Amino acid sequence: MRRRGFKLNNHLSQEFELDLAPLLAVMVKLVPVLLVSSAFVQVMMIETDLPQVVKEAIQKEEKKPSASVQLDINGKSGIRVIVEKAGNQNIEVIGLKADGSFNYGQLQQKLVEIKIQNPEVFRVELNPEGNIPYKEIVKIMDEARKARDKNTHFPVYDSKAGKEVETDYMFPDVVFVNVMEG
Amino acid sequence: MRRSRFKLKAQNSTFALNITSMTDMFTIMLVFLLQTYSTSDMQVIPEKDINLPVSNIEITPPKTMSVSLSRKELKLDGRTIASLDDGDFSKLDIDSHDMNFIKPLFNELSKLEKAETTVGAKEGNILMQADSSLSYQVIRKVMYTASMAGFPKLKMATVAGE
Repeated sequence: MRRRGFKLNNHLSQEFELDLAPLLAVMVKLVPVLLVSSAFVQVMMIETDLPQVVKEAIQKEEKKPSASVQLDINGKSGIRVIVEKAGNQNIEVIGLKADGSFNYGQLQQKLVEIKIQNPEVFRVELNPEGNIPYKEIVKIMDEARKARDKNTHFPVYDSKAGKEVETDYMFPDVVFVNVMEG
Repeated sequence: MRRSRFKLKAQNSTFALNITSMTDMFTIMLVFLLQTYSTSDMQVIPEKDINLPVSNIEITPPKTMSVSLSRKELKLDGRTIASLDDGDFSKLDIDSHDMNFIKPLFNELSKLEKAETTVGAKEGNILMQADSSLSYQVIRKVMYTASMAGFPKLKMATVAGE
């Protein structure tokens, strides 16, 4: 009797083949649907739509600008950073690298420094020369928008909450000052 | 002898297909496709001859009309409206009194600005897809003309990346 029971259990625990055909049928239908709706190249855009707190701070700053930050981009000499505050103008030039490319690391460092000194300023005015390639301008806008170091934050006053909050945005409001020039 | 041959053939006619590896492959594909699946309200298809600049911005474009600028031509919503010669506009398309004014672009945008059905016209929004190798002076002409035609909020299309 014992021996018979053992045999029965042994028979039940034997391997069995899983029927994968229905699973495969579902996948065959799902894959073409996802292939059609997938975006392999994600196109984004640069604009001034920002989190509400930063947006409010920009609007407040627009009414009464405390300081202005301008970047003059020149293909031969580099980027001239002009900070104007209370009638005083401070100019610093970030030269080109030995290979002739822009020094983005130094630019970011300088912009973080300016932002720490002027946390209420969100606008940066770009003044590129005509021969500057578009991709270089986009890179400069990227450097000005956010701090690369994720531990670097800047204080912003949230009027709704009535307290200071932190943001990693530096100068997200980009204006091309020379567009309307002749 | 004949009979045994027939039997051998009959045995080979059906076989069990091993679909485990195929299921594995489909599972990997499914995970990859679910990752790249896009739910944004507007799918921007980059033009063939345009290399968009790479940016770390994470904002998806809104529904609006688009201007695409390659090294060869300027298109508005897929229609060619001006041609470029070696990365700059031909003199015929530029106003003789204003070197930044692109006449055909202004004419087309003015028509669209007046039309009530144009998406983004009220807000003055326009999306620009421009080749990354173009110089700022060419981009500036488009920005200038668009703002003159009533589209001052120019949005620059970029490819997501670092």
